[in-house]
Amino acid sequence: MGTPVATALNHHMPAHIAIAGCGAITAVGAGVATLWEAVVANTSALRQREWVIGKTTQNVTAGFVPEEVVKALRVTHPAHADSRAFMFAAAALHEAMGNSGDALKNIPANRRGLVLSTTKANIEALDQLNRRQLVSLPAQRQIQPALLAADLAVNLGCGGPVQCVSAACISGLSALQQGALLIQRGEADVVLVVGVDLISQFVLAGFHSLKSLDPEGCRPFDQARLGLSLGEGAAAIILVKRELLPSPAVCLTGWGTSNDANHLTGPSRDGSGLALAIRRALERAELTPNQIDYINAHGTGTSYNDNMESLALRSVFGDAVPPFGGNKGLFGHTLGIAGVLETVICVNALKHQLLPGTPRLRERDSVAPESLVATPRPAKNLQRVLKMNCGFGGTNAAVILELNPA
Amino acid sequence: MESLIEELKTKIIAGFNLEGVKPADINPDEPIFGTGLELDSIDALELVAILESDYGIVITERSVADKAFASLRALAEFVAANRT
Amino acid sequence: MNTTVIHAASYLGPEGFGNDLTGFCPWPEALAENLKKGELDGLHWSLLSNSDPSRFLRMDLMCRLGFMAAELLAINFDALPDARRDRVGVCVSSFTGCLDTDIRFVRMPRPSSFAYTLPSTVIGELCIRYRLKGPVLSLITAAPGGAASLTEALEWVKAGDADLALCLSLETMNPSTVGTLVLPPELAPQSWHGAAMLLGPAENGAREKPVEVGSLQALCQKLCRLASHE
Repeated sequence: MGTPVATALNHHMPAHIAIAGCGAITAVGAGVATLWEAVVANTSALRQREWVIGKTTQNVTAGFVPEEVVKALRVTHPAHADSRAFMFAAAALHEAMGNSGDALKNIPANRRGLVLSTTKANIEALDQLNRRQLVSLPAQRQIQPALLAADLAVNLGCGGPVQCVSAACISGLSALQQGALLIQRGEADVVLVVGVDLISQFVLAGFHSLKSLDPEGCRPFDQARLGLSLGEGAAAIILVKRELLPSPAVCLTGWGTSNDANHLTGPSRDGSGLALAIRRALERAELTPNQIDYINAHGTGTSYNDNMESLALRSVFGDAVPPFGGNKGLFGHTLGIAGVLETVICVNALKHQLLPGTPRLRERDSVAPESLVATPRPAKNLQRVLKMNCGFGGTNAAVILELNPA
Repeated sequence: MESLIEELKTKIIAGFNLEGVKPADINPDEPIFGTGLELDSIDALELVAILESDYGIVITERSVADKAFASLRALAEFVAANRT
Repeated sequence: MNTTVIHAASYLGPEGFGNDLTGFCPWPEALAENLKKGELDGLHWSLLSNSDPSRFLRMDLMCRLGFMAAELLAINFDALPDARRDRVGVCVSSFTGCLDTDIRFVRMPRPSSFAYTLPSTVIGELCIRYRLKGPVLSLITAAPGGAASLTEALEWVKAGDADLALCLSLETMNPSTVGTLVLPPELAPQSWHGAAMLLGPAENGAREKPVEVGSLQALCQKLCRLASHE
């Protein structure tokens, strides 16, 4: 079972941080409504393109943001037209603000914070500089994540605390935790959490050199899975103090992080590190495992990751693993966005009372718990969702969302 | 072949940041991986990358790599036969 | 009411290295000139420790700095009981992060360096070395000196989310190398450095010092200077 989590000295009251609005730009297109339609239809927006890596041309299947979406964004953000990172993030944030109803109405700028989640920010500008192409000053400066965060804070009118999390694939969930903490500590009443990452020569070359890509497209938890598919775009979630929203509201009630403390590129992970992060989130939310109704997994489609997650789930939930699934077959592994984007999916699952499926799944891996949800189905009283991600360096993160907790 | 073996030794020592290892310390007939050099799976991928960038050899099959990496001598023969 | 204190503080930078016990030491003369200029190839594990350098040379500069700053704390993590070590948090903040590794990678992509194009990899390396499982956080911040890292680590201990918290401020690039990209000069780090602190509840230990919220870098430098004059 592993080391039991020591009880914290302080008794955690479940935090009442609510989600006011969401935004998303992904391979599916622009907007959460478009995204949710694709989730309901259980389709995949992964596309194949030829890409030169090193000395060879590769077939790369990934979640590319459609060119027409980029073109439309250049019209609305002419000053940042050559920074897709800025445009994606700003668009997702503006959509989320628009979806927040009246919650943000009377919040002054100095009580409005922003937390950015990204692994490489506007890294494609570095590729362009390396090829001696002309790059605008904002696009260059936005290679630096803290400066991208600052530019976004200015654009969105955030005069409160601004943070930037860059922690591999757990960045998104880590950023949500930081947003919740800023509100809990009284440093802000509203926090705009936004994740953004790009498919670039830089990142493609890296994952290709590790031989971890599936040229045909990822198949999380599938018997025949061969690797991951990258994804890009942005996702935003507006966090607010619970009392700013009318009921019913989706709340962020638990969170936790951990490290495996095992091996940097970790093929022998037994899931105990991820299990620890999950237990920490459950403890903060004051929930027991059997109270979780649905789990949204990390599910990259690599042999090792999905195996390790299956072990972690069995470790925490025993024989009674709740229904679970993974969405990366739809938009790919979006790295720094994943935690935010996949939480957007969970928020919608709670709002629409629908369990998402696991797109591109053909046959469940025998190691994966049987409760894997292949195709979407209506949920009976879906109340509490667990979301987790794991990253390079043995890091793990988990959050818990609840619909209208007491 | 001997000069290619020496060249590969230098690349391995530099590419894998092997501290305190001199070319004379590497036995060309011993397996490259799974010995005292303490190389891991990332290093195997690194070697694949070096073969592509320095010798123009693209390896896509695991079995091809396993044979080529059986020893430094095997690697040198593989490089000599396939370099572009 | 349990106050949070500094159990140990360490620092390495152009002017020298040290901790709150031993105070500041200058770098060996052969290296000092280069280190002052921010050329850090000569920065090596053996300057600080006789123990097995294990992965040291495989790591990039940011991880080497973090490794050395943590080792300089002179804390025996192995002596902690498992249950306690499972709750040691690690928090890192940086402005330039792993940008120097990014620039190297974009010119020559390699699997061995790809994992180091993430500013959070140093957390992984430290957790593996000292077997720490506590909360983790990796921040990129424009505020100089690592106030962000210190603040978050302090909050972890106060809230009981971690028993002990290791916080670091790491900068690998100095103004002359930062010029590769267009960065506002006032934001460029004034010097490379590695600063580390171990925070925890007061336990009547000899090394305990009060926490001052602010730049981790400045506080570590101050504690080392104080030790030098004692």
